[in-house]
Amino acid sequence: MSAEQRLTWRRRLFAFVVASVGAAAAAAISFAMTVYDAANPKPVPLAAPGQPIDTGRWTITFRDARTGSIPPTGIKPSTPKKLLMVEFDLDNRSASTSNAFLRLFTLEPPVPNLPPPAFYLARDRSVAGGLQPDMPERMIAAWEWPQAVPVPQQLRLKVTSQIHKRRDNLYGAPGWFDRDPAAVVTLAVGSGP
Amino acid sequence: MTAATGMSERCRYWLSLAALAVVLPLAIVVNSWDSLSEWRRSEFRTPIAVERGTTQAYAGAQWQLTGLTRLPGATPETTLIVAEFDAAVDDPALLQAGPCAVVLTDDKGRRWLPVFLPGRTVRQGRPAAADKPRCYGLARAEKGKTITMAETFTVPEGATGLALSITIGGARPAYLVFR
Amino acid sequence: MSAVLKGLGGLALAAAVLYGMQRTTPGYGEITAPRPVAGKLGHRLEGRAFAIDIAKVQLARTVATKGAARDSNFTTSGVWVLVEGTAEARTESLTLLSAEWLGANGVRYAMSQRLSSLPGMLPGQRLEPGLPMPVLMAFEIPEGQVAGGTLLIARSAWAPLAEQARVDMAGAKPADIRSGLVLARGQGRVPWTVSAE
Repeated sequence: MSAEQRLTWRRRLFAFVVASVGAAAAAAISFAMTVYDAANPKPVPLAAPGQPIDTGRWTITFRDARTGSIPPTGIKPSTPKKLLMVEFDLDNRSASTSNAFLRLFTLEPPVPNLPPPAFYLARDRSVAGGLQPDMPERMIAAWEWPQAVPVPQQLRLKVTSQIHKRRDNLYGAPGWFDRDPAAVVTLAVGSGP
Repeated sequence: MTAATGMSERCRYWLSLAALAVVLPLAIVVNSWDSLSEWRRSEFRTPIAVERGTTQAYAGAQWQLTGLTRLPGATPETTLIVAEFDAAVDDPALLQAGPCAVVLTDDKGRRWLPVFLPGRTVRQGRPAAADKPRCYGLARAEKGKTITMAETFTVPEGATGLALSITIGGARPAYLVFR
Repeated sequence: MSAVLKGLGGLALAAAVLYGMQRTTPGYGEITAPRPVAGKLGHRLEGRAFAIDIAKVQLARTVATKGAARDSNFTTSGVWVLVEGTAEARTESLTLLSAEWLGANGVRYAMSQRLSSLPGMLPGQRLEPGLPMPVLMAFEIPEGQVAGGTLLIARSAWAPLAEQARVDMAGAKPADIRSGLVLARGQGRVPWTVSAE
């Protein structure tokens, strides 16, 4: 090889080495970060009843929890039922009416075969529809608890959070997307009518 | 040599630009050919006019309009039109090949879709029609049976040139028009 | 030197053009947004698929309903807006399912579902061509959103490129908020009556 050719070869080799070192470093750092995040998960903050929790789309403040046999509508059901009711204040922080509070909080740990709760508006004592933005309302979530399972003394609720993206990754359309849980709330379960 | 290359290069440049003006629309047409042909095929374009009292074969059945009754509507300017028709089934598969739609049209091109429930006026004015199923009755088609159906429409009092059109999805682009 | 400057200038120009394109490209939401048809309170708005005429807007802090089974009283933390109008389909039968109050700050308030089961409510009215029908809409909005509001009425809230009537609600003023309105069944053409308490 002539002197010129060797110079070009060396230059190419140098560029190749630099690029591959950079790519390898990026891959290694990204992998290490993922492993670290998985090993050390961020602790979910604890919230107390009466403390407003900002979940992005909703601001929720839990009030109390109680068991009972009469649903919030006040109408006695035809077959006797055991109901677990959680009362909370909900404020819609988005820019349009929404009824997406159905999966806002879940029981932790989940109870098997528990049907999803029904949400009532305390003001009307009837099933809640969409909540208007910037108009907080008191609501009641009622689970029909299976007769065989005893109701816990302390109820743990995990509250999910959402963020708003102006352009999502698939269509570039605006939307709300789930993120890490916002808080975990513990409520003492009282007994009611 | 340089001059000759320069000329042919310029020639090539303008030729490519001109070709682009042809190739781009062609690419769009070729890519959307499938959608275009699908859309054309799905349109109902061929009406089959049927005279009162005659039977017409369509989508595997013999269709006949058996009654067209006018009843007074809720207000003075409303009229209820009850259309009764039956289908003598020859081929159930063709009949159930797509959704059925019954629409009342007038000479101005307005279209009325049937009401969901017959209502009290129809039950009193034409009780036989109130019991007949709407065109979803075709779901129970069997060869040799005749299915009687009825649809009710709410139209303005002054609507003229009313025609009933029945479309079965599988029999596109043809559709029946009863006058 | 001038070659370097030309290179840099070209790079800067390309960056500026790309930045401008990125900022001005409409998002998917804007591309598939409903097509607006503008109108005013009290005037008939003619779209291609439907025509709507908003005649009256009434504001109150509570709405009492007198139904067949029971009477109810609806309170709200904001203001109730009862909108009365006439709607007609133009070429084909349809139902207008979506009505929203667009506040001055861009927040949309959909029709209140608490009053949705009353007769004459917009999403329950099947509109036929040639037959104008009276329609009623009820909204719950904060008091600050009454002024400068716009009514958005469309066949559906999500259908892309649907026709949307935008009626300017300049006639709704915070000074006109009553303490209570009574919504009862009506006899005759209009299936409801709205009266002050």
